[in-house]
Amino acid sequence: MTRDELNTQRLVKEATEKQAQANSRRHFLKESAMGLGALAMGSLLGGCGSMFSQPNTKIAYDPAHPLLPKAPPFMGKAKSVIYLHMAGAPSQLELFDFKPELMKMDGQDCPPSLLKGKKFAFITGVPKMLGPQANFAPRGQSGIMLSDNLPHLSTVVDEISFLKAVSTDQFNHAPAQLLVHTGTPRLGRPSIGSWVTYGLGSENQNLPGFVVLTSGGSFPDAGKSVWGSGFLPSVYQGVQCRSEGDPVLFLKDQDGLDRDLRKASLEAIKQADQQQYEEYNDPEILSRIAQYEMAYRMQISAPEVMNINDEPQYIHDMYGTQPGKASFANNVLLARKLVEKGVRFVQLFDWGWDAHGDSAHNSLNIGLKNKCRAMDKPVTALLFDLKQRGLLDETLVVWGGEFGRTPMMENRNGVQNPYKGRDHHTSAFTIWMAGGGIKKGFSYGETDEIGYYGISGKVDAFDIQATILNQLGFNHEQFTYPFQGRPFRLTDVAGKVIKPIIA
Amino acid sequence: MSKQKIITLAICVAGLSLIAYSFFSREKEIDFNTQVKPIFNKKCISCHGGVKQQGGFSVLFRDEALAATKKGRPAIIPGDPEHSEFIRRIKSNDAEVRMPYKHPALNSSEIDILSTWVKQGAKWGTHWAYQPVKPVEVPDAGIQWARNDLDKFIYAKLQKEGLKPSEQADRATLLRRVSLDLTGTLPDDKTAQTYLTAPDENAAYQTLVDHLLASNQFGEHWASNWLDIARYADTKGYEADGNRSIWQYRDWVIKAFNADMPYNEFITDQIAGDLMPNATDAQFIATAFSRNSPSNDEGGTNNEEFRTAAVLDRVNTVWAGLMSTTFACVQCHSHPYDPFKHDEYYQFMAYFNNTRDEDEPREYPVLRTFNDSLTLKLNQLTNWVKTTSNENEAQRIRYFLRTGSPAINSNSVDNLVNAEITNHSGDLFFRRNASVRLARVNLQDVSQLILRYATADKGGHMQLRLDAANGPIIASWGVDTTKGFKNGTVIFPKQQGIHDVYLCFQNPSLKSPMQNSVYLDWFYFSPQFPGVGKPGYAESKKLFNSLLDANVPVTPILVENPATMHRNSNVFIRGAWTAKGRVVQPSVPKSLAFAMPAGEPQNRRGLAAWLTDKRNPLVSRTMVNRLWQQLYGAGIVETLEDMGSQGMEPTHKDLLDYMAYQLMYDYNWSIKKMLRELVMMATYRQDSKLSNELKEKDLYNKLYARGPRVRLSFEQLRDQDLQIAGVLSHKMYGPPVMPWQPKGIWLSPYNDAVWVNAVGEDRYRRAVYTYLKRTAPYPSAVAFDGAQRQLCTVRRITTNTPLQALVTLNDSVYTDLSRHFAARMKLEGGANIDNQIAKGYSLMLYKSIPPGRLQIFKGLYERSIHEFAADKSKAAAYMGDRQKPVKPEDAALALVAQTMLNLDEVLTKN
Repeated sequence: MTRDELNTQRLVKEATEKQAQANSRRHFLKESAMGLGALAMGSLLGGCGSMFSQPNTKIAYDPAHPLLPKAPPFMGKAKSVIYLHMAGAPSQLELFDFKPELMKMDGQDCPPSLLKGKKFAFITGVPKMLGPQANFAPRGQSGIMLSDNLPHLSTVVDEISFLKAVSTDQFNHAPAQLLVHTGTPRLGRPSIGSWVTYGLGSENQNLPGFVVLTSGGSFPDAGKSVWGSGFLPSVYQGVQCRSEGDPVLFLKDQDGLDRDLRKASLEAIKQADQQQYEEYNDPEILSRIAQYEMAYRMQISAPEVMNINDEPQYIHDMYGTQPGKASFANNVLLARKLVEKGVRFVQLFDWGWDAHGDSAHNSLNIGLKNKCRAMDKPVTALLFDLKQRGLLDETLVVWGGEFGRTPMMENRNGVQNPYKGRDHHTSAFTIWMAGGGIKKGFSYGETDEIGYYGISGKVDAFDIQATILNQLGFNHEQFTYPFQGRPFRLTDVAGKVIKPIIA
Repeated sequence: MSKQKIITLAICVAGLSLIAYSFFSREKEIDFNTQVKPIFNKKCISCHGGVKQQGGFSVLFRDEALAATKKGRPAIIPGDPEHSEFIRRIKSNDAEVRMPYKHPALNSSEIDILSTWVKQGAKWGTHWAYQPVKPVEVPDAGIQWARNDLDKFIYAKLQKEGLKPSEQADRATLLRRVSLDLTGTLPDDKTAQTYLTAPDENAAYQTLVDHLLASNQFGEHWASNWLDIARYADTKGYEADGNRSIWQYRDWVIKAFNADMPYNEFITDQIAGDLMPNATDAQFIATAFSRNSPSNDEGGTNNEEFRTAAVLDRVNTVWAGLMSTTFACVQCHSHPYDPFKHDEYYQFMAYFNNTRDEDEPREYPVLRTFNDSLTLKLNQLTNWVKTTSNENEAQRIRYFLRTGSPAINSNSVDNLVNAEITNHSGDLFFRRNASVRLARVNLQDVSQLILRYATADKGGHMQLRLDAANGPIIASWGVDTTKGFKNGTVIFPKQQGIHDVYLCFQNPSLKSPMQNSVYLDWFYFSPQFPGVGKPGYAESKKLFNSLLDANVPVTPILVENPATMHRNSNVFIRGAWTAKGRVVQPSVPKSLAFAMPAGEPQNRRGLAAWLTDKRNPLVSRTMVNRLWQQLYGAGIVETLEDMGSQGMEPTHKDLLDYMAYQLMYDYNWSIKKMLRELVMMATYRQDSKLSNELKEKDLYNKLYARGPRVRLSFEQLRDQDLQIAGVLSHKMYGPPVMPWQPKGIWLSPYNDAVWVNAVGEDRYRRAVYTYLKRTAPYPSAVAFDGAQRQLCTVRRITTNTPLQALVTLNDSVYTDLSRHFAARMKLEGGANIDNQIAKGYSLMLYKSIPPGRLQIFKGLYERSIHEFAADKSKAAAYMGDRQKPVKPEDAALALVAQTMLNLDEVLTKN
């Protein structure tokens, strides 16, 4: 679909959408209000002082309502985040980073200067250089170069800021993914989504505040650890929503139990718990009653939001979604629905971007193109769709992998791989951001003429984390959690907000 | 006001201040720990401590604080606040000079404290937790109420706060509480009835406690907590997150708790069991404590990087789990608050840096557990070698057969020619005309190589060469084809000294130079099998080979490198493992070195001796604090991860010390005796109801004017409901089991392992036996704050979320249990529904149902019957089988049962 076609559709649907938007906003405000007034739990807020008395910590952790919306320290431009992680690390050289010089070196032995002191995940000996396996052209008003692997995204480059010189120090998938999402290559720290929901709570108490959706047949290499809550209370961990089975684990009532009966049973629990409260006077009991009520509402809200059947056909056409099928496209549409409902952080992982060239589906000319086809359209639609709903300004969309790919063709165990592929590369790759107060149609950072090293505008995972937090209204250096006697932060001792890409 | 009056007033004020000041300084000796250190930690230390020393000034150690700063003179002059730059700076009005720089000024009382402290000589103090435990005087309080001395500490503080303890909880509540605390589940009916109906409650309670402590279920419950510390899991952790067979360690922990192994021995075996003389299988398995670190099999990883990560993890676990100290801080810089220096981290790390494991995929070294008949053979072989040769040789062979050590892993070779290590981390393989180097092999008296290899190609040939790829050949042999991996033995003339050994391979019959021909696993160099020509030689050698080839259960363990394989330990500059600084030797931090007994070896055995020395200030305090926390939901020091100067203040410091002393000196480290003491307390036995007064004054029960009231852990909840439903399996030990779990939870890349729902009894095993996959743990455990066990989890933070409600309402495990529970209510409750419900209530809570509750559940029952009768297919579906007709009342009772299992009083230890 071209941009014009999408624009036309947008105009046609504008009126209905505005109405829908108004409805959903109102609905959602109502939802948020429900959990609060019913219980006067103020007393619970008091006693945590000693535990959370670090001078830097301004976050109030209310154990009774850990997900209530909280104001950030300063007004952020973004209210929610959709983070699209292409697990396996897509090749920047076939998508964003146009390197004509590399084409000239295609097939030549890699110069020793590029290999000296370098360690690769798989390459051994002297590999051959590999020219770009895609054609590039300037796109949009901004004239940003993008490959023909991304025909749809090419129509929205004017919404995006590209970071062309991202680097990392981890060249294995699991540690590199952990670094991107938790700020350390090792297991055990909270993920960025957990930090954000800890800091901001969530707008909708009937849905989890931090939702994770996976596609591609596998979890990301680091498994659930990339949406874990580490030392933060486990209520802040990502909740995986699923396209098959229950959308949230254990959401569906037991077969044969209809809603009325479930409600009657919950009513019985509530009454008995109230009697228990009268006897024990422990506010924790009231909190439990509230959680059961929330569970009941989540049983209604989650399937509703996770059901894409009722989306209009033009939306399905735009995203390339097929209801009932597990796909990245479906997850992207769900991401839009979730942020629209007030979910704070939506994290997508799409597995299968590891184009080593060791098999057809892991190759630059077959596998990568297929992955791009499945990604390009829905991600483009997401930006359009958020924009037409007026949500793009307050939703930060981040797209990226965990590292980049080498300008060399991969050989493995000393043998040339059967297909065109590239090894893991830490020194330069591309991540992009859009919406949420990010500059439009902008490219920041440059790599050398073969895309091997960043030469200007270099950034790393910590900088990206700092920027995401900044857009949400946090100074990443002051956003801390007291643990083991010291204030911990997502960005540890590093990170600089990438100011040039902020609008 | 006249001028004169002003002057008079001024003189008066000045005089009064002077009096106040001298009064203050005469009366009050400033206490460093409680008055000065908190100001340092809060206001000074982030710029002048272990991380940064701005201006060359630090207040972490006294010698640093009194040393010359960058200006060339000390900032603190003891006894002379007027000339101390330190005091001048905190008092200054000039923003550029005044400290804390760019932060709010200290208030006048803080300035007074610091000035007086300098005046009094700037005396340093040691934080209480770093001082050895001393006997504590028991307060003379609550004599009537107290059931033991521990209670008196609680009472004394309550008295001070003007509070009174609560009444003792009723029998039923106490029964359930103490059972859940000691065994993690509910007791069997007989135990319950004996206690509930005994005429003398007090005596019966003691009998009950002793019975629970003696039950097998005790160890299963307490193991769960320890396994959080030990980060025990059944997988390796990264990427594919493959299976790790280490469950024998879990069983060892259960057995140790049940046998009431003294805590000092418990720790010693886990830290250094392998170094004990004639280490038993159990002692080797105990060292798997350290092998629970995650490992990384991802293709292309650097094994040394993740070996190092595992060693760091072991250091951090020992400090966090055993000593409530945030030693991990010291990895990158000196401790910001506590007396540990950067280099000391790496000195400590050196204890763990010489174990044989190398983060390679097969997880060597492993203990091979021989069954009884194989053990008999092993003993027979050992005896034969001992008689025909000598004791040392017998021990060497025995050690090798049990641990496969000290072998050289094939993926640790270098100088590869026509050879590759699979994806940089897996098995070594050879192509045509290959050679590799095995660096610095100890060949002293060596005349035999055993190597484990696999090849399908005929015509291969190998040589061992000394010192160079074209060096002298010491052995040469043809390579047989194999079915899978096989152990081969090569004999050669006896060698001397340490040499680089080159292993060379040729096979001209291979068609392609790129064909991978031989895969190699490990190499073991040794003297020849002894006793040539002695009677029984042939049989014994055969026995040796059969034991070596035997397929037996394996457990990753610690094995120390022999001296010739020693690794140097370096300081990592700023914590980066690639930035190696000076070489260090194993030792404990200087500030705690007083607890190291004289004459202990400088290895993990010495380390264990230091940990378990009664002067070690942290180990006993940490353990009693943990026991307390398990009972009350919060420790006496709430931050179990940090007892240092930045941790939370203990609520009852003297009690903590009293218990720590008691554990070591009175109870000789017996956990059961200590726990018995704790649950016998009047404090523990109090009712947990909150009065309005307590709600206001002590919502979080820090004063213990009432009994504990805590939500059950995931494990307790599962095990309790299994018992209530009457299906709890008493089967103990063995490989982890897979109770029902929804589809699609396991989706690791490069791993086709699947969750196969257990059948039969294994569906109803206790939670401690549930398979724990690190990257995709059991979902209901995740919901109920179970630890992911990637790192040492010192304490779980209990949360209360809607996802928990969804588990107990809808997880098929709990639905299934509620059906069993309903069947039990019907069978044991009699014909009448009132009785059935009442029976159910007493099965859960051991008490008769209050009329209000009965009414609620009966109402639900009647309503459900009505609905299920109206649509019988729903009733059938609800009971799990649409095809099988069911009575509406059975479905209704199942719903009531499930509802009852969701009550707050059932989810909570009251």
